[in-house]
Amino acid sequence: MTSPVTERPAAGAGAAARATDLWKVYGSGEAQVIALRGVNVELERGRFTAIMGPSGSGKSTLMHCMAGLDSATRGQLAIGDTALNGLGDAGLTRLRREKVGFIFQQFNLLPTLTAEENILLPLAIAGRKPDPGWFRTVVDTVGLGDRLGHRPNQLSGGQQQRVACARALVARPEVIFADEPTGNLDSRSGAEILGFLRRSVTEHGQTIVMVTHDANAASYAGRVIFLADGQIVDELTEPTADAVLDRIKRLDVVSTGAPE
Amino acid sequence: MIKASLRGLLQRKLRLSLAVFAIVLSVAFLAGSMVLSDTLSARFTALFTTVNQNVAVVVQPKDPQAVEPARLTEAQLRTLSEVDGVRVVSPDVSVQGATPFRATDGEPVSADAALGFGVDGNDDPLGLVELREGRWPTAENEVAITAHTAELAKVKRGEQLKVYLPVLNEPRSFTVVGVAGYSGGRDSLAGEVVVMFQQAFAQRTFYGETGRFGGASFAAEPGVSDIELKQRIEQRLPAGFKALTAEESSEDRAALSGGVIIDVFKYILVGFAVVAGIVGIFLIFNTFNIIVAQRTRELALLRALGAGWGQVAGSVLLEALVVGVVGATLGLAAGVGVAAAAEQYLMGEVPLPPVDLVVAPLTVLLSYLLGVVVTLVAAFVPAVRASSVPPVAAMRDVVRPDKSLKALSIVGAVFALLGIGLVALGAFADLGGTAFLILLFGALLLFVGTLLLSPLLARPIVRGLGALIGRGSAGDLGVRNAARNPRRTAVTAAAIIIGVTVIGMTATVVQSFKTSLEDIMGENIGVEVMIQAAVTAAPDGRQGFNPKALDQVRAIPGVKEAAAWHFDALGVSVAGQPQAFGVFATDVGQAARMFPFDATGGEIRTLAAQELVLDGNTAETLKLKAGDRTPVVIGGVTRDYTVVGVYQATPIIQGILVGEPAIADFPGPLAFQGFVSLNDGVDAAPVVEKIETIMKDYPGVQVGDRQSYVDQATASYDFLLIAVQILLLVALVIALLGILNTLVLSIVERTRELGLVRAVGLSRGGLVWMITVESVLITVFGVFLGLALGVGLGAAFTKALMTLEFASVIAIPWLELAQYLLAAVVAGVLAAVIPARMAARLNVLDAISYE
Repeated sequence: MTSPVTERPAAGAGAAARATDLWKVYGSGEAQVIALRGVNVELERGRFTAIMGPSGSGKSTLMHCMAGLDSATRGQLAIGDTALNGLGDAGLTRLRREKVGFIFQQFNLLPTLTAEENILLPLAIAGRKPDPGWFRTVVDTVGLGDRLGHRPNQLSGGQQQRVACARALVARPEVIFADEPTGNLDSRSGAEILGFLRRSVTEHGQTIVMVTHDANAASYAGRVIFLADGQIVDELTEPTADAVLDRIKRLDVVSTGAPE
Repeated sequence: MIKASLRGLLQRKLRLSLAVFAIVLSVAFLAGSMVLSDTLSARFTALFTTVNQNVAVVVQPKDPQAVEPARLTEAQLRTLSEVDGVRVVSPDVSVQGATPFRATDGEPVSADAALGFGVDGNDDPLGLVELREGRWPTAENEVAITAHTAELAKVKRGEQLKVYLPVLNEPRSFTVVGVAGYSGGRDSLAGEVVVMFQQAFAQRTFYGETGRFGGASFAAEPGVSDIELKQRIEQRLPAGFKALTAEESSEDRAALSGGVIIDVFKYILVGFAVVAGIVGIFLIFNTFNIIVAQRTRELALLRALGAGWGQVAGSVLLEALVVGVVGATLGLAAGVGVAAAAEQYLMGEVPLPPVDLVVAPLTVLLSYLLGVVVTLVAAFVPAVRASSVPPVAAMRDVVRPDKSLKALSIVGAVFALLGIGLVALGAFADLGGTAFLILLFGALLLFVGTLLLSPLLARPIVRGLGALIGRGSAGDLGVRNAARNPRRTAVTAAAIIIGVTVIGMTATVVQSFKTSLEDIMGENIGVEVMIQAAVTAAPDGRQGFNPKALDQVRAIPGVKEAAAWHFDALGVSVAGQPQAFGVFATDVGQAARMFPFDATGGEIRTLAAQELVLDGNTAETLKLKAGDRTPVVIGGVTRDYTVVGVYQATPIIQGILVGEPAIADFPGPLAFQGFVSLNDGVDAAPVVEKIETIMKDYPGVQVGDRQSYVDQATASYDFLLIAVQILLLVALVIALLGILNTLVLSIVERTRELGLVRAVGLSRGGLVWMITVESVLITVFGVFLGLALGVGLGAAFTKALMTLEFASVIAIPWLELAQYLLAAVVAGVLAAVIPARMAARLNVLDAISYE
C-alpha cells in the first residue's frame, strides 16, 4: 500500500458523495495557487472517511467543494444523486437543508439559542418536525441529556462540540462533513466526540467525512484518504493510529514538506 | 499615537460617516436658522434703506403703538424744518390697513402691507415717489395709487376705487386721479399697496383734526452729517418724539417688519438642531462604543506596547474630535443651503431687494462648537471604556461582560418613580398655574428615568413584540438578536423614544383639546355662525368689524340673535395685575342665553358701566369675589369696577367680561368676534353666505359655521402638531441611521453566526427576514415606549388643563398613533435594507471561517 491509489472508475449510484476530475485554482497569473489537481474520489454510504494530509495539501478545499460550500474550478461534484455543478444559491441552500450536515472546528453554535434549540435549528429552518424518538437517541448518544436547556456559554468546549454533533446528526443528512472536529478540544473530549461519530456510522449507518491532521483521530475512520499537493496520494482501510502515523511520516518525506 | 488613531479613523470611515451625518444634520439646522434670520434681517434692512434714501433724520413718536400717539402740529413741524442744515422736509401723514377693494369682484386686495398716505399736491421732496400719470389728489374724494396697487385692484386712472378707511372703520369710494411709482421705475418696494389721499382729508380721517402730522423725514444740506443733524433736531424736538438717523430708522423698521416671521422660523430650526443634537449623541455614543469593543485587541496591543491609558482614551477622543469637525464643516455648508432654500420659499414672492446670504462669524463659531461638543460628550464614555482595556487582551480573548444593568436600572427607577409622583401631583392636585411647572419637571424626570430603564425593558418588550411578528425560525432568530444585547438595543432605540414621546404627548393634548371643543360646541350652544377678525389682527378693537353691521345680520330671515364681542388685550390690568388675555366686552346677559355658563357667585346679567364678571380660576388668581370693587385699566384709563358675578369657565368662555359701555375706553370701536344664533330648523349655510356679503367691507374678517370655528380655534394647535411631526421625522431619520449603524456593526460581529445559519440551510431570503425583524423590533420597541410615555404625559397635561377648564375630556388620537407606528415600521424596514444586503451577500465559506 505504498503506491498512490489508482483512479477509480466513475462513481456508482451507491456513493453518498463524489468528485470527478476536481480542480480548484485560486487567483490567476503569478499569484495562482492550484489547490486541487484532478481529484477523483467517491465516498461510500455508511462509511466514516477521514481525509488527511499536511497543511496546504488541499484537504479542507476538497471538503468544502464536496459539501457545496466552495465552487469547483473544473470537474463534477455530486451529493447522492444531486449534481452540485450549476446549482444556484437557492439550490445549494436546499441541498444543505436536506442532505448535508456540518461539524466545525470552532463549534459555531448560536449564542442566543439553548443547546436543544441549537440542535433543532436545521430542522426549524427547514420547517421540518423532529422525530422525537430519533432526537432522544441522538441526545443520548452524545450524552447531553441534562444540558439541553443550557446556552453555549454555559457549556464546556467538549459539550459544545457534542451539541454541534447532535445538530448534524438530528437531521439524518445524506452526509456529514466534519472539519477538524477535535482541533479545539483536549484529547479526552476529542476521543469522546470521535467515539460518537464512529457509533453513529456503525449503529445508524450515517455517512461521515472528516478532515483532520491528527493520526489518532483518523484511526477512528473506516477509510483514510491521504492528500498531498492537491492530489490523492494514498489510502488506508480500517487503519490503526500507528499505521496512519507511519504513512504520514513517509508522505512528509515524499512531499518534502516539514512535519506538522 | 496620533498617527495610529488617525489611520484607524480612515479604516472605519463607513461607520464614522453615519456619526458624521448626525452631526451634519444638527449643525445644518443650527447654521441654517442663523444664516436665514441674518439674511432676512439684511434684506429688510436693505428695503428700509431704500425707503430712507436721501433721508438724513427721521422724527417719529416715541411710542407709535400707543392708543393716542403723539402728533406734530404745523408750528412744531415748521420749527424743525428751520433747524440749521435741513435741506428739505417730508412730513408724514399715514395709516396702516387702508385696504383697497378689487374693482372686478369687490374683494379686498390681499397684501402684506396696505398703507394710506396724505399728500399735499406737490412732488415728493425726497424724490422717492414719482407721479407717472394724472395728478396728485386735491379733493376729498380723490386718490392717487401706486402702479402695483392699480394692478392688484384692477383699476385705471379715472375709475372709482373703494378703500377701507381704518379709523373710520368703513369703506368709501374715491376717484383715482393719478398713478405713481418709485424712483428707478419700480412699481412697489416690497409688494405693498399704497393709497395717497388729499392731505387735509387724511389728517382729519386718520388723526381726527387737520394740521397734524405723524412725524417727518429730513434731508440734510451738503456737508452736514446725519448724526450732526439728528443732534441739532433733538434740541428742538417736542415731547413724545424721538429722532433717528436714516440708518437707525431702517434697522428699527426692519426688525419690526421681519421680526415675527424670522423668529418663528428661527425657533423651529433651533428646536430641530437641539433634537438632532441630542439624538445624535446617542448615535455617536453607540458607534464609538461598538468600535471600541471591536478594537479591544488592537487597543490592548497598544497598551502592551507601552501606551498609557490616557493615550488610549485620547486616541478615541481625537477620533471624535475629527468626526465633530468634519461634521460641523459639512453641516455648516448644508445649513447655508437650507437657509438659501428657506429664504427662497419665504421671500420668493416678495420683491425685496436681493442680498447675499449672511454667514456671520458667530454662526461659524456656534456650528463648530455644537459639532465638537456633541461628539466629545458622546465619545467620552467609550473613551474611558477603551482606556480600561487590559494589555493582556492582546494575547487572548478577555471576556469583558457588559456591566450589570442593576445600578443603571435602580437610578432609572428612582427617576421614573419621582417623575410619576410629580406628574400625578400636577395632574390631579388643584394647584392652578404651578401645576404645569410641577408636571413639566415630573415629565422630564420620568423621561430620563425611562431612558435609563430602557435597557432593562428592552428584553421583555422585544420578546413580547417579537412573539407577534417573529414568525418562522428566521424571524425567531431575529427576535433573539434584538433581545440579546439590551443595552445596545435601548441606546439604538433612544432616538425614537425621544421623538415619539414628544409627538405622542403633543398629539394627545391637541386631540383632547379638539374633542373638548367639539363636545361643547355640539352640546347646547345656541350659536350657529361665527364672525371672526383676522387672527393677525391687533387685539385692541382697531381691526375687526363695525358692530353696527350686525343690524343687517339681524335683519336676515331666520336669524334669532346676533352678538358682538369686543376684545382688548393691550395694556389691560385688573386689580393691579396685567392681564395678558385682556378683557372681552359684550352684552353678558345675551351671552348667557347663547352660551352655557353658570354663575358660581353673584349673578350673570347684562352689565352696566364699571361692572364686570369673571371665571372662577381668574377670580381665585386675582383674589376677587362677587361684590368686590377693584381698579381696572382699559385703554390707559383707570376706573373702579364692581365684580357682579363669578362664573364656571368653559373651554369657550373664560376670562374677564365687561359690559358694552366699557367699549368707549377700548383703543378702537371694532368688534373682534360675532356670534349668531338661528331659529329652529334654519339652515346655516345660506345665512353664512349672506353674512359674508355684509362683512366683505371689513378686510380679514372671516365668517363660518360651528365647525369652522372649532377648526380655527384649533388651527394654531394643528400648526404645533405639524411642527412636532416634522421634528419626529428628523428624529426618525437619525434613528434610522442609528439602527443601520448598529445592524452593520452587529453583522460584522456575527459574521460566523450568519455563516453557520446559512450552512445549516437558511436561505438568503431567510437571512434578510432575520435582519429585518431585528431592525423593526428595535424601532417598534422605541415607538412602544415613546407612545406609552407620550400618551401618558399627554393625558396628564390634559388632566391639568381640565382642572383649569381648558379641556373637558382626555382623547387619545388612535389614528395618529397608528400612523406613527406604521412610520416606525417602515423606517425599521428601510434601515434593514443595507445591512440585510450585506449579510445576504456574504460567502458562506468565508463567513464560517471568519476570524
